[in-house]
Amino acid sequence: MSRVTDSFRPHVAWANADGAWPDIIFSTRVRLARNLAGRAFPQRASAAALRAIRDAALEAARASRLFARGHYLKTAALTPLEKNFLTERHHISHKLASEERAGAVAVNNDENLSLMVNEEDHLRLQSIVSGLATAKAFETVNRLDDELGRSLAYAYSEKFGFLTACPTNVGTGLRVSCLVHLPALSRAGAMPKLLESISHLGMTARGIYGEGTFVLGDFYQISNATCLGRSEAEFCGNLDRTITNMIRLEIGAREKLLAPGLKLKTEDSIFRAYGLLKNARTLSYEEFMQNISLVRMGAAMGYPIRADFSTLNQITLLMQPAHLQARAGRALESGERDSARADYIRENLN
Amino acid sequence: MLCQSCKKNEAAVFLKVAVNNKVTEMHLCEACAAGVTAFGGLEAGPMNISGMMGNMSGYFKEFLPHEKRALHCRSCGLTYHEFKESGFLGCPECYADFEHPLTELLTRIHGNCLHAGKRPALCPGRPKCGTSPVPVVFGLAGQKTIYNTEALKEALKKAVENEDFEAAAGLRDRIRNLEGK
Repeated sequence: MSRVTDSFRPHVAWANADGAWPDIIFSTRVRLARNLAGRAFPQRASAAALRAIRDAALEAARASRLFARGHYLKTAALTPLEKNFLTERHHISHKLASEERAGAVAVNNDENLSLMVNEEDHLRLQSIVSGLATAKAFETVNRLDDELGRSLAYAYSEKFGFLTACPTNVGTGLRVSCLVHLPALSRAGAMPKLLESISHLGMTARGIYGEGTFVLGDFYQISNATCLGRSEAEFCGNLDRTITNMIRLEIGAREKLLAPGLKLKTEDSIFRAYGLLKNARTLSYEEFMQNISLVRMGAAMGYPIRADFSTLNQITLLMQPAHLQARAGRALESGERDSARADYIRENLN
Repeated sequence: MLCQSCKKNEAAVFLKVAVNNKVTEMHLCEACAAGVTAFGGLEAGPMNISGMMGNMSGYFKEFLPHEKRALHCRSCGLTYHEFKESGFLGCPECYADFEHPLTELLTRIHGNCLHAGKRPALCPGRPKCGTSPVPVVFGLAGQKTIYNTEALKEALKKAVENEDFEAAAGLRDRIRNLEGK
């Protein structure tokens, strides 16, 4: 159906659950915002200037060994479904997908490194790894930054650091985030207070696909809210500490769900959700996410769930609307998607 | 209940969104919810999340120093007033031409106005950009967490034998949680 979606592997390495805390942390991402010296930021640049920046960035990516056998895609040539597919994989943002300007994305063969061009900034470099691994994710993207920085002159000031279109990103240009699964804290009603308390630590919480997106399946994206005045290692270390504390709290909340008074109710919820996923004939993405969240927690608690975290993670990615359509090889209406989703899950959980 | 976006139709869909560290619950009609994709499409739909939650320009307006209408970037022509409206600068040179008000703004946003991170590869004298991984200090790090009292008691015994009292205290708390004490 699509040359682009077919060129990506069905399974992605960063969903393999082979990192630290696979039962709670889905993935860690680090992105660096960079702009080219002497060029207007994308919002204010002419169409010709944007095309020149796009072509220079893609050329630099092609020259990098880090993008060997990678994907190089201009957004103007992508269909809406292909853009949604790349958004679901976290390779591009919704913002880049919706902009009409000359954008592009380069993704490496392992899909753990990408370069978005002409989104809010000229360049957005990103690495994504499995589990909790802020240092590893930063080192990966930092290598790309060093390599690109040798051929592209970045906009940089000794005082303010890397200069960005929005002042909230100036300095290191770094956003480090973890996709965290917090079903027990959510059920305990602890999330509002927890999210408020992390804001005092310079952290912010978003939905699964970034700013302004839904909280689906008790997944929260936790990231640094500020990025100027400290080193990259300090920002990564701060997030590490916050996430480590969240893991501690989530484990405590899960233990309370398994204590004598609540254990039966917890087991009942988990196995009802498991039964629903194994038997449903039609499943919306929201209903799927609500139930896979409980099943994921059940697997973490040691209940007999016929799928490991890697399988659960891959299913979570593959059941997204554009991925379902890519798999089917054609556009699917909402009802058809719900039916295809239920079919796939029955086949893979039974 | 009426849809919170169009305020005309009956709400049929319930959504949760995380914005500004708060989980917001919204009741929408099917038409408004249809315009909201699961992929961050809140701005694209008939409902505008900025309008409901306060947008970036509002954020900057609140914190920016007093009007400096005459101030503009000599390179791209962006006025400081335009920056206040949009929250976006026009080009890298804006940072030099708006240095004073931006210094104050950045201090308010980041708690600091001086860069302390890496320098670009093309800048001479670039210091090595080091990372200092933070060790995970509790529990059974890195692997699947165990929710089995017997296994935790065994780990507690080993921790005490090794005189690792910090780990032992953590394990003791976990066993208490599981036993509902």
